[in-house]
Amino acid sequence: MKNNYLKLKLLTIAFMLSVSGVLAQNIQVSGTVTDASNGEPIPGVTVLVKGTTNGAITGIEGEYELSVPSDAILVFSSVGYSSQEVQASSAGDIALQTDVTNLDEVVVTGLATSIKRSNLANNISTISSEALTGTTTGSTLDGALYGKLTGVNINAAGGAPGGQTALRLRGISSLSGNNQPLFIVDGVYISNVQLTSGSSIASGANAGREEGGSNRVSDINPEDIESIEVLKGASAAAIYGTRANAGVVIITTKRGQAGKTTINFEQDFGFNEIQNYAGRRSFTRELAESAFGAGAQYDAVVAQNGGLFNYEEELYGERGFITDSRLSVSGGGNKTKFYFNASRRDEDGIMLNTGYDRTSFRLNLDHTITDKLKIGTSTNYIQSHADRGPVGNENNGGYSVGYNLAFAKDWENFFPDENGVYASGGFGGVNVIFNRDFIINSEDVDRLIQGANLEYLALQESNYQLKFQLNGGLDFFNAKTLVYIPENHEIQRGTTQGFVATSANRSFQYNYNAFAVFDYFTNNDISISTQVGVSYLNFESDRVSTQTTQLIPGLVNAGDGGSFAAGQRITDEEEFGIIGQSTVNWADRVIFTAGVRLDKSNLNGDVNEYYAFPRTSLAINIANFDFWNASAVNLFKLRAAYGETGSSAAFGSKYTSLGTTVIGGRTGLALTSGSQQLGAADIEPETSQEIEFGADFAFLDGKVGLEATVYNRKVLNLIYPFSSIPLSSGFGTAIRNDFDLVNKGVELSLNANVISNDNITWNSTVNWWRNVAEVESLGVGEFQPSGEGFSLTFGSSYIREGENATAIAANIDGTPTIIGDAAPDFEMSWFNQITFLSDFDLTFLWHYKEGGDILNLTKLLSDFGGTTADLNDPDLTRSFGEQGAAGYIEDGTYIRLREVGLFYNLPIESKIFERVRVGLSGKNLITITDYSSYDPETSAFGPSGLSQGIEVTPFPSSKQYYFHLGLRF
Amino acid sequence: MKFSTKKLYLPLIALLFSACSLDEVQDPNGPSLTGTLGNPNQETLNFLVSGLEAEIRNGRGAFITATGTIARELYDFNSSDPTSTVALLGKDGEQLNGSEPQLTGTIFARYQVAKSADFILEAADNAPITDAQRRGYRAFALTMRGYALLDVLMLLNNNGVRLDIDDPNNLGPFVSRSEGFTAITQLLNDGFAELNGAEFSFALSSGFAGFDSPETFGEFNRAVAARVALYNGNDGGALTLLNDSFFTLDGSNLNVGPKRFYGLAPETLNPIFKTPQQSTDQYVVHNRMISGLRAGDTRGSKFTVRNDATPRDGLNGTHEISLYASTSDPIDHIRNEELILIYAEASINTNAFQDAEDALNILNAAYGLAPYAGAQNATELTDELLYHRTYSLWAEGHAMFDLRRLGLLNASFLPIDRPGDLVHTEFPIPPFE
Repeated sequence: MKNNYLKLKLLTIAFMLSVSGVLAQNIQVSGTVTDASNGEPIPGVTVLVKGTTNGAITGIEGEYELSVPSDAILVFSSVGYSSQEVQASSAGDIALQTDVTNLDEVVVTGLATSIKRSNLANNISTISSEALTGTTTGSTLDGALYGKLTGVNINAAGGAPGGQTALRLRGISSLSGNNQPLFIVDGVYISNVQLTSGSSIASGANAGREEGGSNRVSDINPEDIESIEVLKGASAAAIYGTRANAGVVIITTKRGQAGKTTINFEQDFGFNEIQNYAGRRSFTRELAESAFGAGAQYDAVVAQNGGLFNYEEELYGERGFITDSRLSVSGGGNKTKFYFNASRRDEDGIMLNTGYDRTSFRLNLDHTITDKLKIGTSTNYIQSHADRGPVGNENNGGYSVGYNLAFAKDWENFFPDENGVYASGGFGGVNVIFNRDFIINSEDVDRLIQGANLEYLALQESNYQLKFQLNGGLDFFNAKTLVYIPENHEIQRGTTQGFVATSANRSFQYNYNAFAVFDYFTNNDISISTQVGVSYLNFESDRVSTQTTQLIPGLVNAGDGGSFAAGQRITDEEEFGIIGQSTVNWADRVIFTAGVRLDKSNLNGDVNEYYAFPRTSLAINIANFDFWNASAVNLFKLRAAYGETGSSAAFGSKYTSLGTTVIGGRTGLALTSGSQQLGAADIEPETSQEIEFGADFAFLDGKVGLEATVYNRKVLNLIYPFSSIPLSSGFGTAIRNDFDLVNKGVELSLNANVISNDNITWNSTVNWWRNVAEVESLGVGEFQPSGEGFSLTFGSSYIREGENATAIAANIDGTPTIIGDAAPDFEMSWFNQITFLSDFDLTFLWHYKEGGDILNLTKLLSDFGGTTADLNDPDLTRSFGEQGAAGYIEDGTYIRLREVGLFYNLPIESKIFERVRVGLSGKNLITITDYSSYDPETSAFGPSGLSQGIEVTPFPSSKQYYFHLGLRF
Repeated sequence: MKFSTKKLYLPLIALLFSACSLDEVQDPNGPSLTGTLGNPNQETLNFLVSGLEAEIRNGRGAFITATGTIARELYDFNSSDPTSTVALLGKDGEQLNGSEPQLTGTIFARYQVAKSADFILEAADNAPITDAQRRGYRAFALTMRGYALLDVLMLLNNNGVRLDIDDPNNLGPFVSRSEGFTAITQLLNDGFAELNGAEFSFALSSGFAGFDSPETFGEFNRAVAARVALYNGNDGGALTLLNDSFFTLDGSNLNVGPKRFYGLAPETLNPIFKTPQQSTDQYVVHNRMISGLRAGDTRGSKFTVRNDATPRDGLNGTHEISLYASTSDPIDHIRNEELILIYAEASINTNAFQDAEDALNILNAAYGLAPYAGAQNATELTDELLYHRTYSLWAEGHAMFDLRRLGLLNASFLPIDRPGDLVHTEFPIPPFE
């Protein structure tokens, strides 16, 4: 009885461990904690006197020492290992067993409370820093997640340096923007917007989303991350209310530990290389003459160059050099601990004049003021720069190299002549080499993320304790975008004589939570943990953009031109929530949680109306009951959880406003292309209701674990801009919310410690997941979601009652017809960590996606330009004229070796180095697919909205090879 | 325990109740519609007038390329839109379905003008202005509403036109072609009537220079009304209306008339200008224009030989557009040259053949051609009229309607470039109407 109460108490105050107390009749205990599988010392193991806050943390050599009552029981615990309880009198050197099921891991599920994994009622995935970046490095955080947890689907808008990723948790959550999960770093809600550069104004692309800008979660340095917890659905995320409809990604960064100061320096060298070429049509002189009347030009280039060019390789054939350097220093004493990291990554892209660099500094401080009062701060400054190249969709702008490559003929000579003059393109395209060499498309970001938390243990008695927690922070960035097209560009000549678009984006957001946490332990094995608190957030952004044309030759300056336009977009969001939640735990056998969050937002029609988001969950640990005697089964848990979340309308959805126009220097007001929305003044949040059932098992002392989850997530009253309203209304879109859909899914995860002996340790995880999103009801019957495709002529995402919400449709004989489904049938991943010969670590991650259709509009364009690789095939039957876009639907199945790494700890005895580690790794090295274009993991429409299954001449994805050197001092 | 719990929660409860009240945020990115129309003044009205004049330029490019492609005036060789040479030309027998972007873009733009006109009418009723000023705003709004809806009716033809768009959630019906003509005529007449005693307390762009007073704007109103009368088969009416317009039988005044103003940012670019010899996108002249051009006709300067005549989609042309010199060139709303042609056509139709011949000879003289030598009968004079309409108004959005009016919008008159191509005569109502 007492055990259980103490256990829970330990959990809730687990982070106060560094306070070591001295009690009467103490004995001195010391020893070393090692990994049972390989004998390596384990630093950072928590050693606690059971039932107290007394304890210590092992040092860098796994050593510990503390003074404890002679009759005490010591609990040794560390993430990734099974906990062990030992009598203090017999404690000494301890060997911990690997626990692939991580049952003792503490998972942050409430805003102020955490729970042991074995008591969780939801399937919450946790990614450790080892799993995130232990195998290989990558430039962005979101890209590093794919394949590592169930229920996730990721599409990249292309491989441009700096990344652009659409992360989807458990299917479709929204059509109007908030389809990306909420990212929280050390308690700070961070911005993940996609910046728009203004290139669409020059390129003629339909929207900023098509520009292919990066999304701002890419600023977070993956190396700073200690762990990531992913709350995938409403049942787990309900406590986050109206920001959590698409799930929550909780990122915890590394923090210092008391003891010896640890210095780590890691250096990676590597290179980017195109994953896959879409290929070019091979031409003979006869074909060039018969198809394009270009025999003479063909002869000329062969005579001059010795053969045809291959412009796909000329553009994308570079090997981009990568360096990534990281220095971290951590340590501290009993009262103050610190973690400092300075890092710089610099990479060149697979196209000349593209690249990405990021410099990041982090200082995390923890200070214990009294034994009841603790503060912690996290400070992160990031500077990043991306040269993303002229990519993305376009309409007649002659801007995008990919788009124009579809028309470029390999017998055209695009390289400058002896006078440096670039020829104009023919055959419907522009000179792509000129574009590569002279067009600038860059982003510069300066960002500060500051978090702080304060914790006060107000009361602590034998059967209850009360804590107050205050945490919050701010995320501020200033981003500059620049697009430059020189005045001698062949489209600019004679029209606007050059184009410079700049934008200054100021984003400032802050949030705080204030909570009281009350833990109460009864004398009949029941403990109750209750949190009550408030949450407030305020997000502001202000984008000022300029466009200058009629440029002075050679000057890239928004002030030096002859014609100017400016724009501004301001957003202002404010939300307030009240949260209450209580968890009742009966001896770790039955764990019941109920809670509610009340949220109001200025994005809703009534800004001060509260919307309630309840949750409840039940977990039953059958193996913890007395009747259970199958000792091989350590965990047999049945669980059920229900929760609701919401998402307020995107900023601006409430408004019906006029736009400004200019004619002859006079300002006018009218419904304009930028301002033609029929707003919904009384809009309410869309809501998600999820029920999740699961069963978790752990066998053989945690050597094998199995988690199985099914869920049903309804999204009700989805808010969407409906563009198929009568043109004669004068309005372009109307905001509606009469759309319900349901996501149904299954998630399975099997972990096993396959081999564990002195020579080899092999841990393996197999994940399998699927999600189907069905349209349950739709007030308008069917519609083409705006911005999720081009016209139905070219195919588009399409929402039709009774079909999957991920459907792709196109006009066939004038009728919108479903031609594909972008959702995969299922996805599967296989992650392996193998340690052998004690000093070698081999890790690899395979990812398999079955199904998921892709509309290959890259091929449509190259067919149109007559340059597709297979056009000479006599059996070719594809025809846009006869089949329309339906001829361009392809199966997106692939198998990919997402990550592989081999590391070796050099057996060096050195006074300077504690450890020297070298390694080789790669990312996306092997892809097996029938998909005929660059990469089946693609979307032309940026991270917001549906972002699925439509490819239009993206920046091709790259694979990366690395050499790693790690030094620990 | 019970007591202490209560005590402990007190500060927390206080915190909850002190919870901030959120403030309503007005749209920081645009003036709200209700706010603008709810409390209007003269300044508001002037913004709406300039807004309407700006909006009426929109959709012009699509209107010209759609009607011009159907009438085999030009092709839109467009790298980004392979359909520009498909549905409009009825490739492989393809019928129009009403969702052609050129049609929907044009219709949407015209109804935004009608909406702007309705905003002005509503605001003028409520604004603290003089009655004469109110009449001025109403005259402008009614005239432009009629002028904009004429384009819709011409595109949809027998499918009619929607007139009432007051409530976006409950739009009025599509009325028949003849009811449409009646209503548009009425709008123009009402606008003209309002000008009586009106004062213009607003300014228009330099495109309306010379047509920006109640009297001169009235001449524009009557010119549009003459165009409507001709299209509606009311030739006598057209001749009468011309008398109150800026019509002059004078070859040196051909270009007189109000214009759409274009310019570099923040203005709108002329949508019909293309960079000469540009490969990616080009307006290619239909070869029938080149072969039909009489020797010496100086209107041939509207066409330029292409250096690199790459075919597209089984189509080709030796010449590309050179109608405008730059992206800042204006495009006419209606000019005296068209009024002369309306006069000639109405005269032919009312058997005033000498008047028609005299009018057409003004154009012959202006463009370096010999005077008309054919017979003075309706058939031959109509051929002469069509020749002049074809070249005087090339790529200005007239040819499709001219051919339709003259019974020539068909495959026996127009060349069929590819086997299976069709000649469309009107657009269906777009699907979501």
